[in-house]
Amino acid sequence: MAEESSVVIDRGGSSWSDLWSKEDYLAIWLGFFLIFTCVIGYFYFGPKEKFTQTINTANKIQAEEEARAPFKTMAWYGAQDEKSRLRGSSGSEIGKFLGTWTKKPGSWNSNPVDSFVRSSAQANALNEQNMPKYMEAKAAEETALKGAEAAEAAAAAAMFQNQQLNDAAQAQIKSWRDAKKKAGDAKRKTENKPFNYIPTLIGLCAFFALIFGIGIKLMGQNAMRFAVGFSFVFFVSVIAYIFGGQTVAKQYGIGAEAWGIIIGMLIANTIRTPKWVLPACQVEFFIKTGLVLLGAEVLFSKIVAIGIPGIFVAWVVTPIVLITTFIFGQKVLKIPSKTLNIVISADMSVCGTSAAIATAAACRAKKEELTLSIGMSLVFTAIMMIVLPMVIKAIGLPEVLGGAWIGGTVDSTGAVAAAGAFLGEKALYVAATIKMIQNVMIGVTAFGVAMYWVLKVDREEGKKVSAMEIWHRFPKFVLGFLAVSILFSYLDAEMDPNMGAALLDQGVVRGGTRLFRDWFFALSFAAIGLSTNFRELAHYFKGGKPVILYVCGQSFNLVLTLVMAYIMFYLVFPDITARI
Amino acid sequence: MAVENKKSRLRRFLFACAAVIAFVYGFLPWLTQSLSPLRQMQQHLQETGIDPSRYYYTDVEQVSEAEAYLRERL
Repeated sequence: MAEESSVVIDRGGSSWSDLWSKEDYLAIWLGFFLIFTCVIGYFYFGPKEKFTQTINTANKIQAEEEARAPFKTMAWYGAQDEKSRLRGSSGSEIGKFLGTWTKKPGSWNSNPVDSFVRSSAQANALNEQNMPKYMEAKAAEETALKGAEAAEAAAAAAMFQNQQLNDAAQAQIKSWRDAKKKAGDAKRKTENKPFNYIPTLIGLCAFFALIFGIGIKLMGQNAMRFAVGFSFVFFVSVIAYIFGGQTVAKQYGIGAEAWGIIIGMLIANTIRTPKWVLPACQVEFFIKTGLVLLGAEVLFSKIVAIGIPGIFVAWVVTPIVLITTFIFGQKVLKIPSKTLNIVISADMSVCGTSAAIATAAACRAKKEELTLSIGMSLVFTAIMMIVLPMVIKAIGLPEVLGGAWIGGTVDSTGAVAAAGAFLGEKALYVAATIKMIQNVMIGVTAFGVAMYWVLKVDREEGKKVSAMEIWHRFPKFVLGFLAVSILFSYLDAEMDPNMGAALLDQGVVRGGTRLFRDWFFALSFAAIGLSTNFRELAHYFKGGKPVILYVCGQSFNLVLTLVMAYIMFYLVFPDITARI
Repeated sequence: MAVENKKSRLRRFLFACAAVIAFVYGFLPWLTQSLSPLRQMQQHLQETGIDPSRYYYTDVEQVSEAEAYLRERL
């Protein structure tokens, strides 16, 4: 890969032709095109009317039940389940179409072929293997259901005036809900279907080659050469998905993104990346388009999901740790590259890989710096995911505090959920929610870093930066990313919460933009690997300063998050903690 | 000379692939089976279906569950 394409180069000026010839804008238009297609598909051709009817009926039942009983009755939960089942991605033609044609290789245990081809016989064997557990869970659910029905009937017979009967009914209903969830999880494992992803993968490769090829052509490069090389980059991404689907690799957090870099680097540094592949290693184009799509997942309403304690743990501690770590890296460790310093700081303090990608693109970090940062994050995340729950259990921290600690410090969301669930259900819920709030910070981080780089880092000594110069230098894709985030936050806030969850979250986002975003990041990591030299990477690692920075920053993060979580959840808002 | 170079690069590639595969699919499973906390974590992940390699909240199903739970409780 040419050195020039590993960073975004400032041209110090803007013209109208930038709109259709520069990578930043083209990433925005491509992102907008995919988002627009998904929005139109789900909102105008989706099952909106059917969903509205179901939601209205369920709301009516819930209102009646709330008026009838002082607690959430079984009928109330039944109506809630009806609403939860509404998913644009599985309940509409567009959802099924996008889901089918963006499929990536999935999980496997001993045979990699299982990740992309499964015969009917294999599917049936899997279903039969999981059937006894489901039958057991179903029997437990039926027993719990009878208990809940009897307890609620007893409470209803007393006109819900007997507190003891009400409490007993609530307890029985909770047991039934837990049993129902377990039965639901077990049932999903008996619904395996046969598949063959090879034709859809070929189709997807052609579609991506076409849409990115148009962008490449508009940038003045050879679209045909890109398309030929792209087939190889896509192939490496598919292999990365296959390797990342192996159960043990997944357990240690080594997913498709890491495998993309590993496989790409193995090729680049041994047999060497073929020359015809290099025109397709468009790392920034893939990343920026993926980031514009990621904007749809950065919803500001999520910030209040756990009230003020969550805001303090995720939105007060995180910027403090980010800025302190960056200053520490500059002043104490004297890390030569400011971009490497900020990418590691953001990766460690905000939310791992996704924050590293957004920050690296916003400050125009080199691909080696992003690779190094993500590599370190993977190693420390794997360690913390296992060690932190053990420490929490050993010192006897309560679940809510432990969950908040995990959510605020472990990098990736999957690892946070794994570590939280290891402690218990409450810890999982708190940890996952805190991490989700932190995830939303990506938008602010990317914008803040981009502005800081334009105003401070890239500024000539002693010179004032004019408004026009800020505009010239500002990475424009960040504006596309923020615009999408603001638009989706607005839609999320304006829509009925149930309809928003069914059509926006479980439709446009999870059944559309996210599927493409996932692929674009996988493609960018494969492209990074294919164009990265081990020697250049080693150069950034000199003196072990990146590791020292990560360890010091994470230690500070651990202390500050624990203190803040304790103050917020146990001293200032114990009522919230009690309700969790 | 060029053929020799090609052969040597191919050898390095195969060796590197073998090393990586042996590490991930040999060493890591052995490590998991050797240490009790890792074994427990593996069983726990298999039961819950959580994928620790997913990095954003929309990739992890359990986050939606957590959100729904907290919305109901708070």
